Amino acid sequence: METPSLLDTIEPELAERIAARTEDIRNGSPARPGVVAALGLASVPIALAALSTDLYGQSGLPASIKGVLDFALALEIFENEFYKAVLGTSAVAAQNAAFAPVRALAATVPGAVATLQQIQKHETAHVATLMATGATNVFNLDGTTFDFTGNRSATGGGPFAKATTDLAFLLEVAQGAEDTGVRAYKGQAANLMSSSAILEAALRIHSVEARHASRIRRMRRAAAGAPSSVRYSGTVRGGGAAAAGATDAGPNPTAVTAAFNLIYGAGANSATAPSEANTTHAGVDIMSLAGAQFGIDAAQEAFDEPLDRADVVAIVQPFFIPTIS
Amino acid sequence: MFDEKRAVVVQRAELLCRASTRRDFLKVLGVGGTIIMLPSLFTACGDSTDNNVTNPVSTTYTLDLSNDTGILNYAYALEQLEAAYYTAALASAGFAALSANEQEVLADLQKHEVIHREFFKTVLGSSAIPTINFNATTVGALTATRSVLLSTSQLLEDTGVSAYNGAGKYLTSAANLLVAGKIVSVEARHAAAIRDIRDGTTGRLFAGDDVVNAAGLDVKAEPSTVGGAVNSLNVVVGTIAIGTQPDSGKKTADQPAPTPT
Repeated sequence: METPSLLDTIEPELAERIAARTEDIRNGSPARPGVVAALGLASVPIALAALSTDLYGQSGLPASIKGVLDFALALEIFENEFYKAVLGTSAVAAQNAAFAPVRALAATVPGAVATLQQIQKHETAHVATLMATGATNVFNLDGTTFDFTGNRSATGGGPFAKATTDLAFLLEVAQGAEDTGVRAYKGQAANLMSSSAILEAALRIHSVEARHASRIRRMRRAAAGAPSSVRYSGTVRGGGAAAAGATDAGPNPTAVTAAFNLIYGAGANSATAPSEANTTHAGVDIMSLAGAQFGIDAAQEAFDEPLDRADVVAIVQPFFIPTIS
Repeated sequence: MFDEKRAVVVQRAELLCRASTRRDFLKVLGVGGTIIMLPSLFTACGDSTDNNVTNPVSTTYTLDLSNDTGILNYAYALEQLEAAYYTAALASAGFAALSANEQEVLADLQKHEVIHREFFKTVLGSSAIPTINFNATTVGALTATRSVLLSTSQLLEDTGVSAYNGAGKYLTSAANLLVAGKIVSVEARHAAAIRDIRDGTTGRLFAGDDVVNAAGLDVKAEPSTVGGAVNSLNVVVGTIAIGTQPDSGKKTADQPAPTPT
């Protein structure tokens, strides 16, 4: 099937401006680094989005969209730095050292390190793509600004410290991070509707995060440490902490359970951010669909739920040393 | 792919029983033509059952993608395909050859896809396209062994992800976009699970470089590309056609679901 050039499908005048500007940049004209990166990636939608920003200036990106992109970038930097620490590739030696014990355990499970590397590769790409699209690192985040134990301290000591020494616990945390990402992007999609190219890029990141979460659930179930409510289909059953399928809440179970309640429960506004246990969508009660009577488990698994920005901030703030909003 | 080489118009159900109509029917199918059933036929047939994997009546299912209802119908068509496929799969030789853990995945997927299908049917109400008929023979061939069952499931799930990712931008209602978002991540979880079953030990196929590009972006396809891919599976008795294309100003380059290797 013929794939039309993107430039054929947009306004001719804009297409001419983009083509001319692209040629200028390729010929050495100065442009923001993000634009050059996007062109190098040969990612057409992102290159378009970045060029649009370049053409119209930073003010060309509506504040509402810019705010969503900045927030998404903060989450992606968090995920990226987390997996880099786990893999021992962080720029921060102390982070690499902290995760050395669990890293050795992952190396004994076939495919586990490769999965973490594949996920980390995507998170790095998401950071680059979002920056190319116009996102700014507004919280000045880098490897030193996170406490993956959840204590907002450079010296750690929080309720998730066990993730550095226990593979099953590490995967619980990684699953929580990925599922938080899925809910966060889903909650922001509507705020990107005025830019179809950026919305599409966000949707394409959203489904990658869901693939990650699915694989991690399967790893946990296969390791026989997780209950059967952690489905081999990678889907989410139930709501609140129960949906995490966490059999081990570490030495501080109250704090860990509270965190999973936030990740899989209802947000502050349960109308816009229902629990993952929700079975009513667009006014339709799944439990009363005549042709699809499979019980509550399948009804909960068949749909994922969004979270609002403030809900996501509440989940991730313990892992960020600076205050985010 | 949507060329109408030749069409037979079926106005009344009893015409299907006449020898001359049957001959025309077969001739048209032989050249890849189209059978057109007028609304009166549906009245005559009454309400058909779901999971239509046996009904031989060929139909062109035409989508108007210029509005949200059409985009939701597009999703409904894809969910009908997935639901019919997995429902047939559960009774297949390919399914019987799966391990218990693998069977759990296929059984979950069947329930989720039937739920999605019935959800869209209810949401769309009188605006819904008809129940699509599927060819029991061709569907059966795609479920006959463990290998073809899993590779077809991967193709369907990746195609679903690519379709939702490519269609979200055409929705004009935030509520509809949210519904699509609630479903696409479940399809992505399915795709990763099926891929992981087929992976062996590389640990990377769940989100392999064949579906997630260097920018970290998942597959994405325009409706015309997805429609062509679905029709080429040869499981729909008839054709899924696009009568009105979506807003051309929003169209982007495709990164369609790859054929599983």
